[in-house]
Amino acid sequence: MSQGFDALRPATPSQRLYRAYAKLGFLPTVLIILVIALALFVPRFLTLQNIFNVLRSSSYLVILSAGQMIVLIVGGFDLSVGAVVPLASVVSALVMVWAKGVMPDQTAGIVLLGVLSGIGSGLAVGLINGLSVAFLKVSPFIVTLGTLSIATGVALLLTNGIPVYGMPQSYVDGFGRGLWLELPTAVYLAALVVALVWFMQNFTRMGRYLYAIGGNLQAAIVSGVRAKTYLVIAYALCSILAAISGLALTAQIGSGQAVISAQLTLESIAAAVIAGVSLKGGVGKVEMVTLAAFFLLILTDAMDLLKIDPRIQTIFLGAVVVMAVALDEMAKRRAPVD
Amino acid sequence: MTDAAFVPRVGADRGRGLLGWLLTLSLPLLMGTMELAVYAFEPRVLSLRNIVNVLNQSSYLVLFASAQMMVILTRGFDLSLGTTVSAISVASALAMTGLAAANAPDLLVVAAGLIVGFGFGALVGLFNGFFVSWLEINPFVVTLGSLNICLGLATTISGGRPVFNVPDVFSRLFYNGVLIPGISIPLMIAILVCLGLHFLLNHTIFGRSLYLIGNNPRAAYIAGLPSKRFLGLAYVACSLLAAFGALMLTARTGSGEPNLGGSLMLESIAAAVIGGVSLQGGVGGVGAVIMGTLFVTMLSNSMDLLEFGGYAQQILLGCVIIVAIFLDRLRLTRG
Repeated sequence: MSQGFDALRPATPSQRLYRAYAKLGFLPTVLIILVIALALFVPRFLTLQNIFNVLRSSSYLVILSAGQMIVLIVGGFDLSVGAVVPLASVVSALVMVWAKGVMPDQTAGIVLLGVLSGIGSGLAVGLINGLSVAFLKVSPFIVTLGTLSIATGVALLLTNGIPVYGMPQSYVDGFGRGLWLELPTAVYLAALVVALVWFMQNFTRMGRYLYAIGGNLQAAIVSGVRAKTYLVIAYALCSILAAISGLALTAQIGSGQAVISAQLTLESIAAAVIAGVSLKGGVGKVEMVTLAAFFLLILTDAMDLLKIDPRIQTIFLGAVVVMAVALDEMAKRRAPVD
Repeated sequence: MTDAAFVPRVGADRGRGLLGWLLTLSLPLLMGTMELAVYAFEPRVLSLRNIVNVLNQSSYLVLFASAQMMVILTRGFDLSLGTTVSAISVASALAMTGLAAANAPDLLVVAAGLIVGFGFGALVGLFNGFFVSWLEINPFVVTLGSLNICLGLATTISGGRPVFNVPDVFSRLFYNGVLIPGISIPLMIAILVCLGLHFLLNHTIFGRSLYLIGNNPRAAYIAGLPSKRFLGLAYVACSLLAAFGALMLTARTGSGEPNLGGSLMLESIAAAVIGGVSLQGGVGGVGAVIMGTLFVTMLSNSMDLLEFGGYAQQILLGCVIIVAIFLDRLRLTRG
């Protein structure tokens, strides 16, 4: 109520600091403080080699979390991304090995087939998720729990849990472990994904529709948004991005893996949530999600450099996720509504 | 949709003709058909021994699924359940082996195991409940955090290895002792816990309030219920039930296992939801949890008998979860 008068008074230094913080946002502030602190206190953190490592390992999570964010924005949920990554990995590797037997000289063709089939396997999972959620109106939690189980089973069944070797060497060396202009290729891939999603969110009709659907489904339908179609597209996009992340990982590892990491799904959701993406839908920005993925990976990297036991790292990361969201929530409640 | 949640389930199904009845009975019918189909290939599925086996196996999952139900009723869920179970198993086993090694009397050893187990459960529940209810943080985020914390604790305090030599007296008490001939102890505990929970949910203010909080949190608040305290207590109850299950599993394996809870989180949610506990809150009960648990256990038991590989089982389980939920949705939205 008295805000109008307060605004006329000259700001005290602490108010100015708070306003600067409010303008910058919670996550960037924390990230900047974290990086400065690490640069000062952790030797080897600011070495080129280490920055490369962080950039590379964040790329996979950035791509994955961008997809998760899209689904969260429409008020959904995707538990299956953690299984789509290994599925795409296994399928692409198997297809490449098969194609190499059929046409040994056509490296470009082999890689293209592998990549397309990997993305195709992701798309298939995404379509099952999207169609079930949009048309059968099944809770996204349960559908994606089901497809998580199915995709994991298929990946294991195809390979018996044994890594698939024999992809073209140029794919592994050129794409997976290659450097362009001194940076790992995965970084460019992640940057491209972020740029495209950012463009989609800010400058396309689809981007606005996705927010509208998540914000208020009924209102969106009444205003003529083809909500079901866009729901399916959102889930398909999420799975395709997960598949792309899986392909990049496969190229780096050099083999198709049915067992990659059990924590991928939870990490992608953690990154999105730390970035302020609402689990109720309608809110979320890809640039923030990118920062959040960096935040998580920088923390992990710093703990590695400080030689903290990975088991204790798990405890610490769990506490950080809860604290980050709790602080953000409290700041939002304190912040004046304008 | 929202209206369906307000109507008691039994009443909502009345007067809808044959199809409505078929849908109401979809889960029992599905179970019956499944068992008969399996019987055609493998008669052992309906032998007394196998049925007893299925019941015994279900007595653990039913505790975890009920734990999950307590918070799902309030529109939440508990992702940390699996790793809580692991951490409790390890912590209580360490306490018991430590005391047993010091030649403490049996009574003290068992008491220490119970105190550590339930105490740890209460702590996790308070942590989850505090953040969800008082700080109003999304349960997904909170329990994702405590999932990681418990995982780290379970592996740290055990050094990543199983804790062997849990005293026999503990296993006799919670696993292979004989109190009533013919009924195993886990099954007996499960039945008692289910009866107690049924009473709690239907005949106490706390229990009834959980439904109202799930149906309409605003109405619960306006009605003057201590919503925050009850919501927090729901998480404590959830973790205490999980602790009970963890202690029983520890008695069965005879060791504290840092990976004990691996798949329990998803299994417990799946069992509760398949039984008809709605993720939108306010719908469900002990009966639903029992049905869901029996279904999941029967399914994996049948696949074991038919010698399905583990990978194929995983695929089929995924398909069945989706179909079962779809049928449930159909039942709730018709009429």
